[in-house]
Amino acid sequence: MAEPVGIMLAEHFSTVTQQRQAAKLGLWAWLITELLLFAGLFLCALIIRIQHPASVTLAATHLKFWIGAANTAVLICSSFTMSGAIVLSRIGWRAGMLRFMLATAALGTLFLLLKGFEYYQDYVEHMVPFLSGPYVLAHDQASRLFVDVYFITTALHGVHLITGVSILLVLTWQASRPHFLTRHQNRIEVYGLYWHFIDLIWMIVFPVLYVLNR
Amino acid sequence: MARGDLRVLLRVLRVPALTLAALLALLAINVALGATLPFRNVWIVEAGVTACMVAIVLLVSMDILEETPLIRLFSSIGFFWLLIMFGMTLTDYAYR
Repeated sequence: MAEPVGIMLAEHFSTVTQQRQAAKLGLWAWLITELLLFAGLFLCALIIRIQHPASVTLAATHLKFWIGAANTAVLICSSFTMSGAIVLSRIGWRAGMLRFMLATAALGTLFLLLKGFEYYQDYVEHMVPFLSGPYVLAHDQASRLFVDVYFITTALHGVHLITGVSILLVLTWQASRPHFLTRHQNRIEVYGLYWHFIDLIWMIVFPVLYVLNR
Repeated sequence: MARGDLRVLLRVLRVPALTLAALLALLAINVALGATLPFRNVWIVEAGVTACMVAIVLLVSMDILEETPLIRLFSSIGFFWLLIMFGMTLTDYAYR
């Protein structure tokens, strides 16, 4: 069942441990910049809420609360499958790891499909103020601020998820080849951090946009 | 799948499965509160539940507890920056 697990030492590192820690530290440095990017948007949503509470509540009631909740559950499940892939990669169980990685990609795709359906519903209900068509809350101009932040935040998260699913599929293809875990097990660990981070951001997006403003 | 393999699978998936259960339970609380709005200022509880979910992902799923002190420091600094950003901005709005 199990195959050997390890990392091929790159020449600029002294030890495998140093290489593993450097990769994680580098990814954390990048994740922190991503965190600051999203935090700016969360802060915008909070300030709009403080300045225009009635308009934000009005706009938030038009958001698709149950689709947002379902999507949060989907991403939590994808976080479980990614954790499953990581723990199986540590013990060299390649077949199981590949199945968990494919399940993670499938759940990420399901999230995107649900999000696409939600955007379509927003379009049908004239909740897209930046398009040339009518806007259902046109009488309340301040609501546009919140709806704009909603679209920017969720679209930015969606871009991260599309990138995440694409990288995951490439990584799955790489991992399906023999001796991958012997040389590159670290890649699964480092990628897992990114996936969990996408999940973590959505766990904040859902309450900040959908729940707290109702 | 052999019985031994199944036993190994259950053992290594124990922590991810418990994490999944905890996160889904916390999500259910937030969804129930958001859907019913049972009392005034319910957002305080919702924000607390969200903070718990974020902490679980950071500490368990992202393995911060088992990382080196340098990585733990790095991840903490990220949230410290956020504290400064939110703190200074909201102080401004609070005292206008």
